[in-house]
Amino acid sequence: MESFFALPMLLVLFGAFILMLLSHKKNISLKGFNYIGVFFLSIAAIIEYTTLSLESNFYLYETLFGHMFIVDKFATLFDLMFTMGAILTLLVNSDYFKSRSYFSGEYFALLLFSVFGMMMLSHAHELLTVFISLEIASLSIYTLVGFHKNKRVSSEAMMKYMILGSMTGAIFMLGVALIYGAVGSTSLDQIAIYVNTTPLADMTLLIVGASFLMVTIMFKLGAVPFHSWVIDVYHGAPYPITMFMASTFKIAIFAITLRLYIVSFTEINFIWIELLQGITILTLIGGSWLAISQNLVKRMLAGSSIVHSGYLLIGISSIGLGSEMAAPAVMFYLIAYFISAVGSFGILSFIASQSKRQMRYEDFKGFANRRPYMALMMSIFMLSLAGFPSTIGFLGKFYIFSSAIGSGQILLAGLGILTAFISVFYYFKLIAMMYFYESDDKQKIFPINVSTIIITIMAITVIWGGIGTSLIPFVPGADSFISFAKEAINSLS
Amino acid sequence: MLNLIVILPFFSALLLALIYLSNPKQKRYQLYTTIGVGTILTITLFSLFILLEVVQNGKTLHTTLFTWLSLGELQIELAFRADKLSVVMISFITFIGSLIHIYAAGYMKDDTGYGKFFSYFNLFMGSMLLLVLANNPIIMFIGWELVGVSSYLLIGFYHKESANITAANKAFILNRVGDFGFIMGIALLFISLEGSGFSFEDIEANIFSIDSEKLSLIGILLFVGAMGKSAQIPLYVWLPDAMAGPTPVSALIHAATMVTAGVYMVSRYSFLYEQIPDVGVFIAYIGAFSALFAAIIASYQSDIKKILAYSTMSQLGYMFIAVGLGAYSSGIFHVFTHAFFKALLFMGAGAVIVALHHEQNIFKMGTLKTKLKLIYITMFIATLAISGIPPFAGFFSKDAILVTAFASEHYTLWAMGSLTAGLTAFYMFRLIFTVFHAQAKKEHSLQSLPKSMTYPLVVLAFGSSVAGFLGVNSAYGGDMLINSFLSLPDRVHPISHTTEYILGSLNVLLALGGMGLAYKLFAKNPKEPQESTIYKKIVINKFYIDEIYTVLIIKPLLLLSHFIADVLEKRVFDALIDTTVWLYLGASKQFIKLQNAKVRYYALYILSGLSFISLYLIFKLGVIS
Repeated sequence: MESFFALPMLLVLFGAFILMLLSHKKNISLKGFNYIGVFFLSIAAIIEYTTLSLESNFYLYETLFGHMFIVDKFATLFDLMFTMGAILTLLVNSDYFKSRSYFSGEYFALLLFSVFGMMMLSHAHELLTVFISLEIASLSIYTLVGFHKNKRVSSEAMMKYMILGSMTGAIFMLGVALIYGAVGSTSLDQIAIYVNTTPLADMTLLIVGASFLMVTIMFKLGAVPFHSWVIDVYHGAPYPITMFMASTFKIAIFAITLRLYIVSFTEINFIWIELLQGITILTLIGGSWLAISQNLVKRMLAGSSIVHSGYLLIGISSIGLGSEMAAPAVMFYLIAYFISAVGSFGILSFIASQSKRQMRYEDFKGFANRRPYMALMMSIFMLSLAGFPSTIGFLGKFYIFSSAIGSGQILLAGLGILTAFISVFYYFKLIAMMYFYESDDKQKIFPINVSTIIITIMAITVIWGGIGTSLIPFVPGADSFISFAKEAINSLS
Repeated sequence: MLNLIVILPFFSALLLALIYLSNPKQKRYQLYTTIGVGTILTITLFSLFILLEVVQNGKTLHTTLFTWLSLGELQIELAFRADKLSVVMISFITFIGSLIHIYAAGYMKDDTGYGKFFSYFNLFMGSMLLLVLANNPIIMFIGWELVGVSSYLLIGFYHKESANITAANKAFILNRVGDFGFIMGIALLFISLEGSGFSFEDIEANIFSIDSEKLSLIGILLFVGAMGKSAQIPLYVWLPDAMAGPTPVSALIHAATMVTAGVYMVSRYSFLYEQIPDVGVFIAYIGAFSALFAAIIASYQSDIKKILAYSTMSQLGYMFIAVGLGAYSSGIFHVFTHAFFKALLFMGAGAVIVALHHEQNIFKMGTLKTKLKLIYITMFIATLAISGIPPFAGFFSKDAILVTAFASEHYTLWAMGSLTAGLTAFYMFRLIFTVFHAQAKKEHSLQSLPKSMTYPLVVLAFGSSVAGFLGVNSAYGGDMLINSFLSLPDRVHPISHTTEYILGSLNVLLALGGMGLAYKLFAKNPKEPQESTIYKKIVINKFYIDEIYTVLIIKPLLLLSHFIADVLEKRVFDALIDTTVWLYLGASKQFIKLQNAKVRYYALYILSGLSFISLYLIFKLGVIS
């Protein structure tokens, strides 16, 4: 029975090995590799889905691993998101893979390894395990970022990311060591007991250690001033990887952040509140500074992903102030951002699969004439990212801001709303480029294949998530997800 | 059935609109007439059934369509109520309405927008009935606004002339000014009731919980709405201009029904106005001034429809004198009789206008007595009625109002009313004599009139003659049927029959005097009024009220908006925003320089962040104090 809960992780790992073994075979096409990867991920996702109704928590193979891995609703939900994210990433980019010669079987193996690392991360209940799984996921992504090894910008991005990532990895280890020195254990429940029983004055060592952990997490999230890698790496990485990092990997980081903050450090959250708020303000403003002055759409999306991290950090500090709605709001925001980001990067990679240009804002002039449906869907994703009402992005921001106001952070919510206004500038600039210029090209036929179908479904989901809840009865929508996320959060403590 | 009375006109309006829009060019006279007029005839029948039911049982009928809004304590149901007051209103609205619809079928026959016209017309009927039958102020307000919209659409029906559109806009905007007061009144009423139900019954039951100062404010605010809709000083200026619409519109909307909505509203809220008699006196004075003022202007107008428009305003003034002094039944009674003779006058005027190929200046008419015999007779009856000559309808209703004013010891009001009565007879007979008796300046070739335009006149003429007997008061041997039926909280001022006779005969004398004067001046050789003296000049130019409004209100508003658009927005707001954007972009340019693609700098940023966090912890944890 226990193995059933471990099965998704094992399946993904197994799939990764299979792909590695097959990768030297010349007679399997990229499409074949793609579908093998999707196959294993889908089975894992289906199993995760059937185990969602799990009621009680338990440690995975307790006799073997002790308290290193936990199985709870929270982890299961996040596992489901990772596998779905990976499946969508693979399917949306099936055109892109075909158009670039540098992709090979190993690519898919690495992606599955990274998903395996993330799944471990969401189950991890011990700091060393957290480190190992984080590194499994990160190392795979370093390689994936530099996958186009003949392209200078890609390799450069990989090197930057790896150097900075290793550095913060070292800081993380230092933090773990300090915590071990204080608690005598790295297990999260031991840490929680220590935090709950020790007077504040004696906890200095632990607090310093925990702050070091926070630095690493902030780095992975791209919070200012640990953000500087984001734009270069997002720019250098191939589109599928940028998409994967912006959506799925970010969710994984939030999985461990929520677990650490809600399980272990609840009692001492107040120490970081001002720090966290300061970082949030820097992230919101700095991110929007970075986003508004970019010329490449990909770099703009990278900059804006920093701003979105800022919104999520508002949610995290609301958790610290004891808002009940905040944790589900963060989870909902992750979903909303995930859908919109996958959609917009999907369209970019679809366009990139047909031409080899860098995509500047100017290249979108008259796009609405050439590809009206694509332009429409791109506009929908842009509206959602900007948080326009009737899209899922609006609901995401609404929950975040209302939880912030509920926990008394009116200033932060106000700043969030202000940066949302500013974000309208760089998102709508793209819409304006698409619609307000003529194009000589004739309207092209809307190609129907896996990528475009997935993008269309995403676009519909964005609208449905924004208004469908109230319009279509008996269909799960935002509200039911929120209540589910609440249950998942409750399974933590 | 009560629901259907409101729903059917809306439905047929929609149907007509859809048919019309499917092919605006095609003539479908039969179809449009069947739907447009047929619907109104059907609901007239329904209204009669409802009337019979209420007369027999004496009970109020209630129906609920559905709950429109449900926000916590605020429950707004789309519910209708047919009590005695509203049942009287709907009976004559539908009855006169259907006559005017038949008339319009003839009047508008050759218009290309025939289908559109009936769509609007039915929309108006539905809205008016919604207003009258509404069971709570919110639904009443919806009806109130909808009659405003359909009135706007119909005034601007001949939309190819810009003057008509201006008139429609003027009517709509002035009505909106009134509506603002009205909605404020409703809102204040709702707040003051503190969530104890918002149907008229609930309001009536809880009205005592509101202190009288607040109640006075509510009463005045509601009356501001009535000022707009019922064209009273100072919001009356739209009514004369509204004559730009087709004549059936003037007959239905600006004579018989919509403009009386204000009077109806005050009567509907009679339980409220009973608590605040001082506000009532204010209302009565506004009414008296409007009545006299409009009568003076009417005496110097030459456009046949404008004369009738000012006369409508004047008669509405009477109604407000009545309801202001607490004689609600008398007010409603005058609404009722007025609907007959004023609709008749407008329809007769319309017939004359059509017959003379759209000539509206009465001094260019003349000697139509023999040529348009039927119209002459019916209009003469209506004129007798409006002038208050017994036994025609107007005498009884107007007399009741003047007696009330006298009996309640508001002698100024009474004097103004009586003076107006004399003036009314003068300007109305001036119209009749000039149009029908006087020698024509040139020979007219008359256009023949369809029967649908003349037969309704006969019916209305009959109504104008006998409708008054429904409310004959005891002094003249009647028992005030309509008053006792309505059972509104009237204030009764006992007065001896002798005084009533004296007052009555004085009014008749005044009316006859006005009539005689008109005959002397206009029956033989009428002269169009010239701006010969200052007094005449002022009156002919309608006291320059439009011009005064332009200078006092419109000009400053325009100046202000020019100031905001050209100075405030460009120099201040835009500049402020531009500066902010410039600063933000500048900051962004500086910030992005940190993004110099050198990994050693990136590591430095991370380490400085770490250092800052360490510093923060050192202070926070109190290592250095």
